[in-house]
Amino acid sequence: MTEFGLRLAISLTQIAAVMGIVVITVLILTLAERKVLGWMQDRMGPMEVGPYGILQPFADAIKLFFKEDIIPAGANKFLFTMAPILCLIPTFIGFAVIPWGPNWTFEIGGISVKPFIISDINIGILYILAFASLAAYGIILGGWASNSKYSLLGGLRSAAQIISYELNVGLSIVGVLILAGSLSLVKITDAQAGGFWNWFLFALPAPQIFAFVVYVISTVAETNRVPFDLPEAESELVAGFFTEYSGLRFAFFFLAEYANMMLVSCVAAALFLGGWNAPYPGTILGLIGLPSFAWVENTMWFAVKTYSFLFLFFWLRATLPRLRYDQLMRFGWKVMLPIALGNIVVTSIAVFVHQQMK
Amino acid sequence: MASTTTTRRLSLSEWFKTITFYEILVGMKATMSHLLNYRPVTLQYPHEKRTLPDNYRGMLALLRYDDGTEKCVGCDLCEAACPSRVIRVVSAEVPGEPTKRYSKEYYMDMTRCLFCGMCVDACPVDALGMTREFEWAVYDKRQLHLNKQQLLAIGDRSFPIREKRLELQHPNVAFFNVAFKHVPSKPD
Repeated sequence: MTEFGLRLAISLTQIAAVMGIVVITVLILTLAERKVLGWMQDRMGPMEVGPYGILQPFADAIKLFFKEDIIPAGANKFLFTMAPILCLIPTFIGFAVIPWGPNWTFEIGGISVKPFIISDINIGILYILAFASLAAYGIILGGWASNSKYSLLGGLRSAAQIISYELNVGLSIVGVLILAGSLSLVKITDAQAGGFWNWFLFALPAPQIFAFVVYVISTVAETNRVPFDLPEAESELVAGFFTEYSGLRFAFFFLAEYANMMLVSCVAAALFLGGWNAPYPGTILGLIGLPSFAWVENTMWFAVKTYSFLFLFFWLRATLPRLRYDQLMRFGWKVMLPIALGNIVVTSIAVFVHQQMK
Repeated sequence: MASTTTTRRLSLSEWFKTITFYEILVGMKATMSHLLNYRPVTLQYPHEKRTLPDNYRGMLALLRYDDGTEKCVGCDLCEAACPSRVIRVVSAEVPGEPTKRYSKEYYMDMTRCLFCGMCVDACPVDALGMTREFEWAVYDKRQLHLNKQQLLAIGDRSFPIREKRLELQHPNVAFFNVAFKHVPSKPD
């Protein structure tokens, strides 16, 4: 019983830590996005709250927390209340299978703990994809329950877009799964150890560069970011599916969007960019005689990869205008899908030939 | 994305540019160069203010002579000149001086003012002035309906140096802002 209690306490601590990291990252992201966009457009971004505006996320959070919570007339109250939660929870659940650092274990009270791997389930990536698709329900139900034409149009667009591009995300990572021979994110990351030439982006039998490009574009579309932000197109739909939301419910949608960005960035880092592996063999801290602190370097590399991927989101937002809806669909089905399918065929053949030559 | 237009075949270089996202990369290079050469054009307004041009047309004000008497003679020309009907003048005789008039009441509805300066041009005695004040945001727009005392107060705080009342000027005669040869020129 005590062992069970200890395990429960450790698991809850890990869950709390991951939730904390995600929420803190979202706070950083909201500020970073406005700052980076400002810098790229010769502006300053938020400057008023705190030195250089660094306390702006807290001001936003307090404002959203105290705003009036409006439920529009004629809205379906149950679904209107449920939708932000339906949007947020699947995204947070997805973080459970992300390997944040190496397989480093320590003993506490007789049981071994892996602090950086919350759970290693053998269908890791499928689990993330499944829950990411569930978030579409939150968006479309929120759009429908608002009793507003803009919300409904935004929700419908979002559902169509997420379904179309979810397919491309799923197909683009099949190449990685063939190379790694596993669906578990921990095993996939372990297979990329030993220098950046072993990352699946560059790995030799079949470099997944095209798959990576397809993955990046599809995830931008899946998270409803510019240039694929049709569900929340300001010029056409006011704010899309969260037009009628305010206060804390709006904050949930906001949190879900940014947490979703972080999730796809983590998955991209784990699948294509070697996860927590450094771009050189081993670790510097291990080399200078501190192998028990190598996890610091490894988690730092994971953070660097994730944040540079998130920076790409901001960069694209500062650069590109929004696509038209038919362009979006044509690009997804006629360009991305064939590339992803072709990548699977080429990767399969390359891996087969590679195995035969051994 | 240009590859999906089916009207004509793409040349080899165009095809290559399309599959490598050449145009998008050019755009991303432009935004990145702005990030690296960060020169914001933002003026942090409440903390730093831009220098106003010399002929800036700001808040309107009523002026006084250096002896404290009001310049306004109640001629209603500003009311006639105003295109937005901002000004309302109630003119009256000065008690005891039947030939001299003054503005008994003077109202400006600054919610309608478009700061064209026509009233200032129309005034024959230079009784109106445009100050350099522009921060007149208020919570209640009735506070922008100004009376004579408020307008004189604005003039007092914005124009500390007042025009001298001419020595030869008869109290019953208003001197218009025309060059007179027979009166001494205005002191600095």
